[in-house]
Amino acid sequence: MTSGRQRRRVVPDYMAAAKLTVPEHISVERTTIVVVAPEAVTDGLDPPGSHLIALLREGPLSVYECAAYLGLPYCVVRLLVAGLAETGTLLTRAPLRADAPDLEILELVLSGLRAL
Amino acid sequence: MASAPSDTRISTDHIPVKLIIAGPFGVGKTTMVDALSEIKPLNTEEVLTQAGTLVDDLTGVNEKTTTTTAIDFGRLTLPGVVLYLFGAPGQARFQVLWQELARGALGVLVLADTRRIDDSFAVLDLVESTGVRYAVAVNNFPDSPEYPLEAVRQALDLHPHTPLVVCDARDPVSARASLIALVEHIRELMLT
Repeated sequence: MTSGRQRRRVVPDYMAAAKLTVPEHISVERTTIVVVAPEAVTDGLDPPGSHLIALLREGPLSVYECAAYLGLPYCVVRLLVAGLAETGTLLTRAPLRADAPDLEILELVLSGLRAL
Repeated sequence: MASAPSDTRISTDHIPVKLIIAGPFGVGKTTMVDALSEIKPLNTEEVLTQAGTLVDDLTGVNEKTTTTTAIDFGRLTLPGVVLYLFGAPGQARFQVLWQELARGALGVLVLADTRRIDDSFAVLDLVESTGVRYAVAVNNFPDSPEYPLEAVRQALDLHPHTPLVVCDARDPVSARASLIALVEHIRELMLT
């Protein structure tokens, strides 16, 4: 098992967290899918932000994958994404609300698993 | 510069679905996430707060108020949906993490090892406390004693309707069959 802790960090935690403000309502979650907004202005971002943007330039990823690839704890990346989503730099897709799972989605999961 | 292979990208058209694979230490969670995932399983750090520090021995490190654990993470893209698989530790001290992780999860597959059945009790308590629907899969090890499933069900004190299957966590077909049992169970609960 490769441990996240043993990887060299791109940005140290304290630095990544230093300029983060905590938005009032964070709807960003581990499985929220993140993509760079088509007309996003990404110049002048702090290192953690610009690393995140560079990572997402190649296509969408979930917040958890971003955290793993950046080598940062989930809680830090969550705030980073929430902040950049608020300024319109990133677009997010909220995960399924499983307290009311959709029968249609369950069928998609079932048929998909069976077809593999 | 951090980078990830571009063939690991998904489409935003897919609906993200969260599934948790839970179980005691060494039961095969990492193995199963690996068997199911289309990407090389990732490992992300989670920060545990006070809940963990009560149990972790912090004698002499009074200033330390947080401790960390790592969660295995894999992904499986299906037509229209993308499954996110979290391999999560099941010790009682992860209660706070669990409450958060389980939010929005479609279901939990609890892995059990018949050689150490007692280790599963804490996990089942934890999963039940979250209210997320679950199924139990016995991961068969080469030296696992062969108990009838009914005996395992009794030992684990499972509800008669809770699915209980036997699997080989290393085998993608078997791992998928366990997930199918879980999702079928969730569908049945929805339809009744």
